[in-house]
Amino acid sequence: MAKIAIDPVTRIEGHLRIEAQVDGGQVTDAWSSATMWRGIETILQGRDPRDAWYFTQRI
Amino acid sequence: MPNEAGGLRETLAQRGVSRRDFLKFCSAMTAVLALPPRYMPRVVEALETATRPPLLWLEYQDCAGNTESLLRASKPTVAELILDVLSLDYHETVMAPAGHQAEKSLMDTVEAYKGQYLVVVEGSIPTKDGGIYCTIGGHTALDLVQEIGGNAAAIITVGTCAAYGGIPAAAPNPTDAVGVRDVVKGVPIINLPGCPMNVQNLTAVIVHYLTFGAWPATDQLGRPLFAYGSRIHDDCERRAHFDAGQFVEEWGDEGHRKGWCLYKMGCKGPETFHNCPIVRWNDGTSWPVGAGHGCVGCSEPAFWDTMSPFYRRLPSVPGFGVEATADKVGLGIVAGVAGAFALHGVASAVRAKARPLNKTKVEVEEE
Ligand code: SF4
Repeated sequence: MAKIAIDPVTRIEGHLRIEAQVDGGQVTDAWSSATMWRGIETILQGRDPRDAWYFTQRI
Repeated sequence: MPNEAGGLRETLAQRGVSRRDFLKFCSAMTAVLALPPRYMPRVVEALETATRPPLLWLEYQDCAGNTESLLRASKPTVAELILDVLSLDYHETVMAPAGHQAEKSLMDTVEAYKGQYLVVVEGSIPTKDGGIYCTIGGHTALDLVQEIGGNAAAIITVGTCAAYGGIPAAAPNPTDAVGVRDVVKGVPIINLPGCPMNVQNLTAVIVHYLTFGAWPATDQLGRPLFAYGSRIHDDCERRAHFDAGQFVEEWGDEGHRKGWCLYKMGCKGPETFHNCPIVRWNDGTSWPVGAGHGCVGCSEPAFWDTMSPFYRRLPSVPGFGVEATADKVGLGIVAGVAGAFALHGVASAVRAKARPLNKTKVEVEEE
């Protein structure tokens, strides 16, 4: 039984980590983590709704 | 490996880019840098013979908007410049290796070219809770930028997030995000804010470095004066309408269809320093105000908080006295008050004198 981790996953937009449990050549379990968080939902609270498109475009 | 001698000449010929196109590119860059035309031969020579500094492009709390800006550079010479004159050794969004291989090529460059490689940073750095809100290969962005950036020849931040914290740092800044200069000390840092930065300006900064062996003169916010030395409002094609008191009052009204000034619709051009009206976007075809939307002030620190709500008009316009509103300024000038006109003329002359473009020129000439 071996566990492998690929971090960073490249050629994508954003940050991603993949971990996989490998058992006799078979992947038996896998986990993905987005390793970056900015809290844009929190930042949007209380703002002028007309500005929302400009913030959420940056996700 | 990077750092071989030899510049663009052969690479470009091999890829079918003509000498004529190369000279056109050099001439365009000389113009963006506001250098007198006689500097063009120097730019040409430097680009043809420059050694390749390795370039590491690091992404932290970002949306890859600046990467998009880079990849959308349509002129082959621009892409060639970044990818061939510089040796792009690491860029998560475009590189082939992933995982350990990616990290290895990064650390190889850091060790082999300590103090010589260039770093471009895109995205802010979270500092809350030990920096856990952005990690790569199990390391925090904070540790990475300090180690990799701290051993670089220089750091160029692309976009307002890397420069000043940007959108992740907007109130209430949930991750205590900051810009590079808040956490890396002792290395020259050139800030190219904007949401995103204009790749023309990034290319021009690199051309300046390869040509003169020095970074362009900057303002107190670390922004090169050639690109951030004058206000959007002063170079805006709608400015005559501002001065004439002709404002868009409602989206789609007659004034909007006629291309009048967007001040009343919330344009932040009067408080924003950037060369958008001159360099423009999409191959120089358009820019936000040209397309009919007000400027949001994206090259200014903390603009997400200080310039919003984006559709609320600025309470006053600098340069005309704090009390002067668009109506007053416009009417004053429409009425043909000689004094107001003279004042405006004087203000323009003072601004013209203070134009930093001259400063860059002088510094270059003194070399
Ligand atoms: S307020 Fe905006 S649209 Fe009007 S002249 Fe100034 S920059 Fe241009």
